[in-house]
Amino acid sequence: MRVTVKKLLSAIVFLVISISLVLSGCGSKGKNQSSSNESTNTKSENQAKLEPITLSVYVNAPGQQPTKDNKIYKLIEEELGVKFQFEYLVGDSKQRFGVMIASGDYPDIVNGGTELINAGAFIPLEDLIKEHAPNLYQHYKPFWNKIKDPDSGKIYVMPDYGRFYGDFNRTAHYGPAFWIQKQVLEDAGYPSVDKINTLDEYFELIENYVKKNPTIDGKPTIGFEILSYDWRNFCLTNPPQHLIGKPNEGGVVVNYETNIAEIFADKDYAKAYYKKLNEINAKGLLDRETFTQNYDQYLAKIASGRVVGMFDQGWNFGSARDSLIEQGLINRTYVPLPVMLDESYAGHDWYADRPAINVNSGFGITVNAKDPIRIIKMFDTLITERWQKILQWGIEGEDYLVDKNGRFYRTPEQRTNANDQVWQLANKAMGIFDKGPKMEGVYSDGNACGPGDQPEEYFAGLSDYDKGFLNAYGFKTLTEFLRKPPENPIAYPAWQINIIDGSEAKIASTKLNDLSMKYLPRAILAPMDQFDAIWNEYVSEIRKLNIKAYEDRINEQIQWRIKNWSNN
Amino acid sequence: MPEVAVVKKRQERPQKEKNIITLKTLKAQKQLMFMSLPFLAYIILFSYVPAIGWVMAFQDFKPAKSFFNQQWVGFKHFQFLFSDSGFLRVLRNTLAMSFINLVLGFVTAILLALLLNEIKNALFKRTVQTISYLPHFLSWVIVAGLVSNALSTEDGIINILLLNLGLIKEPILWLGKGEYFWGIVGAAKVWKEVGWNTIIYLSAMSSIDPALYEAADIDGANRYHKMWHITLPGIKPTFVVLLIMSVGHILNAGFEVQYLLGNGLVVDWSETIDIFVLKYGISQFNFSLATAAGIFKTVVSVILIYTANTISKKIGEEQLI
Repeated sequence: MRVTVKKLLSAIVFLVISISLVLSGCGSKGKNQSSSNESTNTKSENQAKLEPITLSVYVNAPGQQPTKDNKIYKLIEEELGVKFQFEYLVGDSKQRFGVMIASGDYPDIVNGGTELINAGAFIPLEDLIKEHAPNLYQHYKPFWNKIKDPDSGKIYVMPDYGRFYGDFNRTAHYGPAFWIQKQVLEDAGYPSVDKINTLDEYFELIENYVKKNPTIDGKPTIGFEILSYDWRNFCLTNPPQHLIGKPNEGGVVVNYETNIAEIFADKDYAKAYYKKLNEINAKGLLDRETFTQNYDQYLAKIASGRVVGMFDQGWNFGSARDSLIEQGLINRTYVPLPVMLDESYAGHDWYADRPAINVNSGFGITVNAKDPIRIIKMFDTLITERWQKILQWGIEGEDYLVDKNGRFYRTPEQRTNANDQVWQLANKAMGIFDKGPKMEGVYSDGNACGPGDQPEEYFAGLSDYDKGFLNAYGFKTLTEFLRKPPENPIAYPAWQINIIDGSEAKIASTKLNDLSMKYLPRAILAPMDQFDAIWNEYVSEIRKLNIKAYEDRINEQIQWRIKNWSNN
Repeated sequence: MPEVAVVKKRQERPQKEKNIITLKTLKAQKQLMFMSLPFLAYIILFSYVPAIGWVMAFQDFKPAKSFFNQQWVGFKHFQFLFSDSGFLRVLRNTLAMSFINLVLGFVTAILLALLLNEIKNALFKRTVQTISYLPHFLSWVIVAGLVSNALSTEDGIINILLLNLGLIKEPILWLGKGEYFWGIVGAAKVWKEVGWNTIIYLSAMSSIDPALYEAADIDGANRYHKMWHITLPGIKPTFVVLLIMSVGHILNAGFEVQYLLGNGLVVDWSETIDIFVLKYGISQFNFSLATAAGIFKTVVSVILIYTANTISKKIGEEQLI
């Protein structure tokens, strides 16, 4: 009998251990909850105005945690009593949102867009902002209707970019363009921009350079690259709209007189462009691997300095550009050219655009936040000029200096610091600033909002090579290669239109994208006499799709925007 | 010799089937019952409870809404799946790549295991084994990077090798031709998994009674005879069980490697069901479609497993269920 009792006992012990092991995952969660409950309890006990609060923040971009003693966060904690707990994106953002939505486990502040709005994760902000955040209200007032969610008419996220103050002035171009290595222009004797602004002239420039320089640093020169990896395939699909003088609207071009949008993938000017690429390939100027390489391989090729030109958006190859600069290959960095389909479009390039307010992304306050008023008040304080200067320039005297005319400037050391990623972790509040509401353009005292846009700062930070290069053209910045952007049409940009997930329109646009990915590379790599046949097949496949559903959704939204945004 | 083993097993089986569970046996084995309880709970909690989510496939599921506010749509998502022209294509690709992986995987693993088993120098054997199973621990992201570097037209080792051997005149764009894609995936899988897959066969081989080999020696069998008549029949039960399990996974041709190595030029050969589901289901927040595809895969897997099991039973082999 005793033996069985002992056995039974050991079985029970085993059972308990295994259950506790299985449930340990849930256990730790429970613990977290109880501790946060405790902190709320103590909060309600002493309702002092600035009692410390810790906010959990999700930033939808990869990043690193700031150091514990980060000086800007310390200042925010001292003055506003707010501490942050950041979670950065690891892996795929859609997946992360999916998990968040499925579990309902939202941080207090989440950097997200339509997915979370549709899932009901955010609280509406318009009353909160009007009542508790006068500065923020002033900040968004010109775009008040624009930043409302079209489906519900409520404001859920505070847009991060695109709210400009003062004159529009940009020192660098991060948008789309046909890029060319500075060395190529130098070798060609700095031809004036109107001599190199058509498709034919652009590729002639490349052809001549590759002929004269078959190798760069002992490796074969690559004439032209087209990235088509994953969602970055805009390098392949977007150029036709730019070639006829339209800004980046995504998959459609909009007629600004009738305000009607249509897809351009199957149009004749698109054919002309891809036919040109087909010809380029036949001449051996196109990288053989261009359609099989992934994003990293693409960046590695650019960073090797062997790629003469490509169509891309400036931000998309930023790390390769940084790498070229680090290697001292400044002559292998790129200049944006206003390349047009033919001479008749010259001067109508719209590569540089005035950034429209970024309506789809920014911080929103989630339904889980315990004190939304406190949060909105914090953002309200941070959008004041004093705090914007701290967030963008840093601390006066430490991170930048002010000359006797009141202009902000930096010493070379401060400039190097600001670009040092390790330094940034301890001295910049990137987690809350990058995706937070921010001022762009100029402050009321005339200084640029960020150091990068201060013209004298920009020029002082240039290398000698760049100074010489710009002098040869008589330019102050590289953006002068492109036309100064005209005012944006009201409904611009169409690429921000939310094509509802799972709808006919979305399926059509996904399938159109699939077709482009399948046929365009094939057409471009085909022998020249087969191009037309493949192109015709591509067009007939497109015609089979429900393109109308896609265009209708965009047109409906354009009309909605015209109606609702005009009276701002 | 092997006949003896088979006969033995045949005798065992009818005995097993006579085992009827009575209250008495339950009582006698209550400790065992207690011990298995947590695992039963685990399986119910993590394998059966989530299956409730299958109802999503018959709704237009929106995460924000409660269960009762969801819109029921019947078989709409299944219809979309089966009527889409792309689905047949991805089904074909999935089956083809699965089949290639299955055959290549088994053949290479058993071959390597046989060869390793013949090596008498323990140090050399262990070294080879370790080297061959190390790639198993690499993530597919890294392996895909290695593969695409190896196949590069510029400095890829495969092209350099073939050029220097004079087999080709100019580098081949391996990843740009759909016809090569299945083979590349199969080869990459073999490279990554062959060593790992041999482990189980090697352990099965080590459990073969050495007396059988000695007896065969006396009968004058050479190495090949011993391999053919002792080692291979010895690992047959293991092989059959693994085969039945793999057949159940035939619709899981994988996702990462095709996603990472695929591109516009080979899309007709590279897209698998999983990629299709990612594109039209999950990344469009169309969880219902993703669930419908999941149900389809599960149903096919269950059918295949039972079929394989029944066949195996009919021909007198090992069975799983």
